Amino acid sequence: MNNGNPHPAIVLRAITKTYKTGALEVPVLHGIDCNVARGEYVAIMGPSGSGKSTLMNIIGCLDRPTSGTYVLDGEDVSNLNDNALAEIRLKKLGFVFQGFNLLARTDAQKNVALPLFYAGINGRERQRRAMAVLDEVGLRDRAHHKPNELSGGQQQRVAIARALINDPAVLLADEPTGNLDTKTSADIMALFDKLHDGGRTILMVTHDEAIARRARRIIRLLDGLIVADEPSSLTVP
Amino acid sequence: MYFEEAVRMLLANPVRTFLTIIGLIIGVGAVISIEVLGHSMAGSISETLGALADNSFIIFPGTMQGDFQKAAIRLSDLDAIKNSVPNIASATPVSGTDELIRYGHNLGRFFLSADSNPPFANTPIAYGRRISDDDIANAVDVTVISWKAYNRLFPAGGDPTGSSIYAGTHRYVVVGVRAQPRQGALNVTFGGDVSIPYTTYVREYVHGDRILAARFTVNDISTLPQTETAVINRIRELRQVGPDVRYQSFDKASFTQGINGVFSAITIVVALIGAVSLLVAGIGVMNIMLVSITERTKEIGTRKAIGARRGQILAQFFIESLMLSSIGCFIGMAIGLGIGGFVNSVFIIKLTGYTAPLPYAQAMAITAAFAAFVTAVFGTYPALRAAALDPIEALRYE
Ligand SMILES: Nc1ncnc2c1ncn2[C@@H]1O[C@H](COP(=O)(O)OP(=O)(O)O)[C@@H](O)[C@H]1O
Ligand SMILES: [Mg+2]
Repeated sequence: MNNGNPHPAIVLRAITKTYKTGALEVPVLHGIDCNVARGEYVAIMGPSGSGKSTLMNIIGCLDRPTSGTYVLDGEDVSNLNDNALAEIRLKKLGFVFQGFNLLARTDAQKNVALPLFYAGINGRERQRRAMAVLDEVGLRDRAHHKPNELSGGQQQRVAIARALINDPAVLLADEPTGNLDTKTSADIMALFDKLHDGGRTILMVTHDEAIARRARRIIRLLDGLIVADEPSSLTVP
Repeated sequence: MYFEEAVRMLLANPVRTFLTIIGLIIGVGAVISIEVLGHSMAGSISETLGALADNSFIIFPGTMQGDFQKAAIRLSDLDAIKNSVPNIASATPVSGTDELIRYGHNLGRFFLSADSNPPFANTPIAYGRRISDDDIANAVDVTVISWKAYNRLFPAGGDPTGSSIYAGTHRYVVVGVRAQPRQGALNVTFGGDVSIPYTTYVREYVHGDRILAARFTVNDISTLPQTETAVINRIRELRQVGPDVRYQSFDKASFTQGINGVFSAITIVVALIGAVSLLVAGIGVMNIMLVSITERTKEIGTRKAIGARRGQILAQFFIESLMLSSIGCFIGMAIGLGIGGFVNSVFIIKLTGYTAPLPYAQAMAITAAFAAFVTAVFGTYPALRAAALDPIEALRYE
């Protein structure tokens, strides 16, 4: 997947973020530098308030850095307008949320196909591709179940399928197992392992050390700075 | 897809959807039902007036003036007018008298009147023919009778032409029967029950030169109002009276105009009611859309995160408003047509003997305009607000 592409998936250079609330300026990120190569599986850790979500929002093109350069999949996205950022999210990024964020009253297949609708792809093709991705996450037989007819783990799989359907350059997950029990979390982590083995680039925020150790690389944030960036020592049991 | 999602949203909360659109249902329902009734009333009046010939007008002196005797039109004026005012095709006296009419043993009191060709009323003929130019030229003793007179005098039915009826000692041969006009309380029958050539009438019933009124027909209907004025001026000259003496004229076009004036006043009132109900209902639509958008803030954030552009969020909520107002307006239309049709069939038909077909095309146009208006005015702001939501804020919303 994208193996012929020479660019790193993510290049961050001197990224800062300062929130302005009225006259008050809250500096949150103080200069983040890092590269994520294609096919890497990275966990971001850090105490609450250290800037993990802020960084994820910038990497996810939901927000722009105050200064610095962000190159995603070979394209400088540091200063794009709202619609251009939406286009990048649509084509190059896949989001997995802690709370699944599926559309209620809408079956799994339609939830998964939603990004394709926004990409202007016709209904038949949407259905076909949604079924293929549901198959990949092991939920082909639940395609016509609504979210309230699925377990938490199954809902998160549907959300992962939705994140994958546009074949994104990077899969972003903010606490993907935060709402799940240990057993189900293990299933979801096994799915991430499988996706990583398949060549996906994955970036995951977690505060669970055990979960983080499933990734191949751990970035630690403290007060808006990277304080550690090292390979994960533990091999998957 | 937008429509599918909009339907899903509206069905997810059926009670709320219904409460939101009930104002639209009532507003549009009221406007459409009044529209239907106005349409059938106007239709029945023009149907009734349709029995009057288009190309004629009647002039009579104003009855409330002192020198009525002096103002009265003379029989001899008619030829003078016909010869001097352009565009006049015929000038005939309008007059009539109540007579006891007899056929065999059947009797009835009927209005015997002077008629000309073309006739006073263009009611279709059931038997025989109308009064002809020959009948008038030769003052022949023939008559065309109304359906009412026919039923009284010829209870056995059948074609009565060739039979003789009597008004006192005068004998008239029936040459035609006018068909039954539409039956309704508001309907007026034009023309007498026993019409005879006006020349015959003048010979038998007019003593002296004065006549009640005069009826004129014109060659060119487009200049009928000018011809009316010219005739009145000529009558003033002939009678040697000043402009203070009033003559009234009656023609189908100006009468219809008067009626239409009344209906356009009704239309304005209905439009105002419609506007107020639309305003109230529209605010309801806007309110519920804003509530719905607040409830779905997180969903909107999610949609934006996965790549929905502003325009796509805007379209989703705009279409939802459109569906909401369209459903309300079209249910209102159906109810309005139902009420209008019901009142037409149980009430208007008794009053006028006539119902116009339901104005479906007009109702559709009005309803579509209402729905478009409500959506444009009250659906745009909520949709813009949804589209403008910041994805990060929206995703954080609980
Ligand atoms: N929109 C905002 N306006 C002002 N301050 C913010 C905003 N978002 C986050 N912050 C602040 O930035 C800091 C980092 O927040 P965040 O990135 O959410 O941390 P984490 O996800 O690591 O807990 C916190 O102190 C938080 O209060
Ligand atoms: Mg956070």
